[in-house]
Amino acid sequence: MKIPEIGTYVISFLIILALIFLLPRLMPGDPLTAICGDEVLVEMTPALKAELMHRFALDAPLWKQFFVYLTAMMHGDFGYSYYYNAPVLEVIFEALPWTLLLVGSSLVLSTVVSIIIGIESGWRRGKISDKFMLTTTMILNGFPNFFIGIILLLLFAVYLGCLPLQGAKTPYSGLSGINSMLDIARHLVLPLIALTLAQIPSSYLLMRNTMITTLKEPFVRTAKAKGLSEVAVRYKHAGRNAMLPIVTTTGVRVGIVVTGALFIEIIFSYPGVGLLSYNALLMRDYPILQGVFFIVAVFVILANFVVDLLYTKIDPRIGVDNAEYAH
Amino acid sequence: MHINYWHELIRNNFGKLGLAMLCFVLFIALFAPFLARYDPGEPSHAIFMPPSVDHWLGTNDIGQDIWSRLLCGAKNTLLVALGVGVFTTLLSTVIGASAALVGGIYDRILMRLIDALIVIPAFIVIILVAAYVLPNVWTLIFLISILTWQGGARLVRAQTLSLKERMSVYAARTFGANKRYIIVRHIIPNLSPILFAVFIHSATRGVFIEAGLAFLGIADISTVSWGLMMHHALRFYYLDVWKWWLIPTGLALSVTIMALVFIGHALETAMDPRLRVMEQEEWQ
Repeated sequence: MKIPEIGTYVISFLIILALIFLLPRLMPGDPLTAICGDEVLVEMTPALKAELMHRFALDAPLWKQFFVYLTAMMHGDFGYSYYYNAPVLEVIFEALPWTLLLVGSSLVLSTVVSIIIGIESGWRRGKISDKFMLTTTMILNGFPNFFIGIILLLLFAVYLGCLPLQGAKTPYSGLSGINSMLDIARHLVLPLIALTLAQIPSSYLLMRNTMITTLKEPFVRTAKAKGLSEVAVRYKHAGRNAMLPIVTTTGVRVGIVVTGALFIEIIFSYPGVGLLSYNALLMRDYPILQGVFFIVAVFVILANFVVDLLYTKIDPRIGVDNAEYAH
Repeated sequence: MHINYWHELIRNNFGKLGLAMLCFVLFIALFAPFLARYDPGEPSHAIFMPPSVDHWLGTNDIGQDIWSRLLCGAKNTLLVALGVGVFTTLLSTVIGASAALVGGIYDRILMRLIDALIVIPAFIVIILVAAYVLPNVWTLIFLISILTWQGGARLVRAQTLSLKERMSVYAARTFGANKRYIIVRHIIPNLSPILFAVFIHSATRGVFIEAGLAFLGIADISTVSWGLMMHHALRFYYLDVWKWWLIPTGLALSVTIMALVFIGHALETAMDPRLRVMEQEEWQ
């Protein structure tokens, strides 16, 4: 089995580290506010300034600053938000579960839906139903995720008023057990649908194209000739093999879904890291922004790495030296 | 095998529709000064006016005519599309083609860098950088291009590698063609379809990212940007203004992205031989 190129992921990680380190320090203006956020000015005293200058070693040469920054990160110190008056990590961890819930469920839902309609559409290639699905998704593809979110928000929450407008649960409702879970689910519906609708077109197109090429493979003809039922040929033989590209692009899709979640959370005021970073953007709360960026980027890099590891297991052809299969 | 890509694009229904929509947006962008009835930046006392004969799409919170702003926003969007498209394609071509042609350690280093960059979610990097830089249109085009060239470069590299091995190139070499001649006469002309595809994809991404950033509020306030208009309009969702402020702006943005997506899809179909044959059967 081939081991994925760990070096590549290490380089990605280093680029992220370097970016977060260099950005605030190379910008024109005061690096201290660029690192700590504008809110620090409110309580700035000469003593605090001296202490912060010392903590980030801002008067030392750049390489020394980088060393100090790395040491802090390795101790889990991602800085302090003067806006929330709390360590960055604490603030982020409070928001992270909501984002994970939204991103995770959307990733699963969009993958399953894309696979199914992709298989059906590819199987019915050229028929009316295929054309309909293709055209619909192509049109959907033109809508940016935040506009899909806005339309759903206006239609279902503002105009029809049948689903909650914002938040992840009803505040101070005192609900518990099953009721609280239903409440959370009700709040999740619109953001989840918005985010999922935005993901479906690209996955569906990929699935449909692979399905079409897979259907031309000899093994599909063999399966048909054996007299297998149509459903078995479509799903167990052709569909299963056509799923490979969808699986292997999961890592990239995680990055896209996370980015999409950022926008969707803002629209529905969903209290995840997207909303958190949006508020940080408005407040110039740079520590939070850097922290969210770091955690999201590392999460996406890890997801890519895991997918890379897994797909040699799913598709044995990738693990072996390709030359054997080349002819 | 020679395929007339322009012909393929016109034959494909999505391609046709996409081109028509893009021409429409282009027309609006070019003639906005004549079509607009008010100065898009001019505030007035008539705020939150519903649509009327004077103001086709009403006015916004500081009394600017929304219809005029909508027309004017097309220019900004297309400028970003063109800028990001050209600049990203240029970067992808120079980096991808040089990696394929030079080869060796240079190629290995660049490929490793591309692999590493592809894993990083580019949009989030752009948001972080833009939060510090606060870009105007030109710096934004530069920023988007410099952070999103990697996918295109990989495509260009792969295509150049396969072109390098073509019979015609071998033939030219046996006739004593030098490197420069081969690059200018054989590699670059044959790269053009893939470059056009890279251009369209980059332009689409550019429009989307510009709108997204502006929607987050990261934009030059003096420019008339659809994303920025949506950013402002969403704050007043509880009023009725979204019907003529938020929705038309979002639709204008979607139509532009849709046009580019359609063209991109048609190109992709034209370039994938397996799909091309079959889509022709389908869509005629």
